[in-house]
Amino acid sequence: MDLFNNLLMGLSTALELNNLLFCLIGVVIGTAIGVLPGIGPIPTVALLLPFTFGLSPASAMIMLAGIFYGAQYGGSTTAILVNVPGETSSVVTCIDGHEMAKQGKAGTALAIAAIASFFAGTMATIVIAVLSVPLSVLALKFTAVEYFSLLVLGLIAAVVLAHGSVAKSLAMVLLGLLLGLVGIDVSSGVARMTFGIPALSDGLDFVPIAMGLFGLGEIIANLERPAERRVVSQSIRSLIPSREDLRAAFPAMVRGTTLGSVLGVLPGGGAALPPFSSYALEKKLARDPSRFGKGAIEGVAGPEAANNAGAQTSFIPLLTLGIPANALMALMIGALMMQGIQPGPQIMTEQPKLVWGVIASMWVGNLMLLVINLPLIGLWVSMLKIPYRFLFPAIVLFCCIGTYGIANSLFNVWLMMGCALLGYFFIKVGVEPAPLLLGLVLGPQLEENFRRAMLIADGDFTVFLSRPISAVILGVVAILLVALLSPAILKTRKEALAE
Amino acid sequence: MTRLRIDLQDLLFGLFLVAVATGTLVATRNLTVGHAADMGPGYMPRVVAFALMGFGLFFTGRGLWRMRVGIAPVQLRPLLAILASVGVFALTAERLGLAIASIVTVILASLATREGRVVETIAFAILLSGAAVLLFVKLLGLPIPIWPR
Repeated sequence: MDLFNNLLMGLSTALELNNLLFCLIGVVIGTAIGVLPGIGPIPTVALLLPFTFGLSPASAMIMLAGIFYGAQYGGSTTAILVNVPGETSSVVTCIDGHEMAKQGKAGTALAIAAIASFFAGTMATIVIAVLSVPLSVLALKFTAVEYFSLLVLGLIAAVVLAHGSVAKSLAMVLLGLLLGLVGIDVSSGVARMTFGIPALSDGLDFVPIAMGLFGLGEIIANLERPAERRVVSQSIRSLIPSREDLRAAFPAMVRGTTLGSVLGVLPGGGAALPPFSSYALEKKLARDPSRFGKGAIEGVAGPEAANNAGAQTSFIPLLTLGIPANALMALMIGALMMQGIQPGPQIMTEQPKLVWGVIASMWVGNLMLLVINLPLIGLWVSMLKIPYRFLFPAIVLFCCIGTYGIANSLFNVWLMMGCALLGYFFIKVGVEPAPLLLGLVLGPQLEENFRRAMLIADGDFTVFLSRPISAVILGVVAILLVALLSPAILKTRKEALAE
Repeated sequence: MTRLRIDLQDLLFGLFLVAVATGTLVATRNLTVGHAADMGPGYMPRVVAFALMGFGLFFTGRGLWRMRVGIAPVQLRPLLAILASVGVFALTAERLGLAIASIVTVILASLATREGRVVETIAFAILLSGAAVLLFVKLLGLPIPIWPR
């Protein structure tokens, strides 16, 4: 019963008093930013990173993870009550959730969303626990050659499954890789692209880049749109769903959880893709599809479950292989590195307490979310009444202070300013910034492993194909790329993402 | 939004990539490249720069070729206000201290929209500044001066 022992060890870590506290802080902050439209988990995690220095690695990861899945909970509250997605992942919940609220069933919708999320979170925790062991055994066979191939797969898959043009995303990955190369070259000690600026010799910090691109760039673009009037839906009467509601919602929850768990593990999946797929599935399976869009409870339960399951299982590649599935996981890798832990296949055997502690904390955190979400709903609703003109200056200020805080360097603040401009430019030309962050975080590892692999193989590029594991991984990369070029798949992908 | 002869989004992104690639090639011109078995520090930057150049030329070409909807016009007010507020923070934080820097940053950022009212904004800025000092300096121990030194 290795699995059982591991989970027990994880629970004992997660239930330590200070870890419980950080888990609570994480999920509360997560819910808050999830409720508020216009602030996503990425700038929030970036903002809090500098302040996790002093914590133990486990506490830091537990808190940051809590922000991520907490945000998924909070996002649905806004979607149901205001018809504005608090997070991109809750776009689908707007459709039927807000319709239910209009019919006076806001309480039921909120409760179903929370229960579906909790159910999915619990199941996903089990999935993570079961899958982690075999994956980490496989990972121990990895050398620089396999790891390089794996990094390539991670980057390519993240691009393929993300939104937007594939070619543009690939270009963004390369841009990220390039930014990752800035600084003193580890093996030769030569400064590269530092332009004589001493602050650049250690490389670019990714926190100012993430905050500039995701936080500030987004704010500027938001402000260009005319201010929206937010009407918070009527009072919430009963929070307890009827037995019929539960019976209708349960199968959708199970399907959503399954779908979300599978899609979440795939790089690039994370929290955005699963709810859309789940909604489409529920609509297809329903006896009367016309109910969808008019307050169908399955349209809330399925996507909410998928969303949470996906958010959680996207930790699997990170915790077992050290490969981030999306931009937020890239930040988590950064958090690990700041703690002096080298992310990679060995992480599970070297840091079992950390890995299992984080896994177990997810279940604990989900339980907390259920408790803080339903009874405290009034608090979150009142937060929605804060107008954006107060929110964004506060975000700008906190970004400035947070960026300064990573290294007490004003250079980072200037860098963030440049990235804000860059982020705004990317939004204007319609390019997703997430692949850039992945490239930036993985770049140094990619180069190091590539060099090491080439050193082992004496400059022979065929080494990547002559080793079986590496060959299989690169085969998958090739299939992905070929599939992308085929027009039929290109079309379905467009439709799937547009839905 | 007007229909243009060119795809401005592709064109601008393409030109941006070409500029970055060119800049990289110039900046790394003196680094040893080496060869695959023994890579110099210039190997990876050059490989990436050439790939970026390829993408850049591709997008530039496609941008000139396709017809597309143009870009929504840039509004200078939010852009300049946000950038300026960050810049002011960078200029004042260490010299004038966090309290004053925060107030100035928040007021400048508030100028990004026309919705704000003067008194309200100033009061809010002072409130936020106090909160920031309490949270970051007192609670989280950020080593930054609070007042001018």
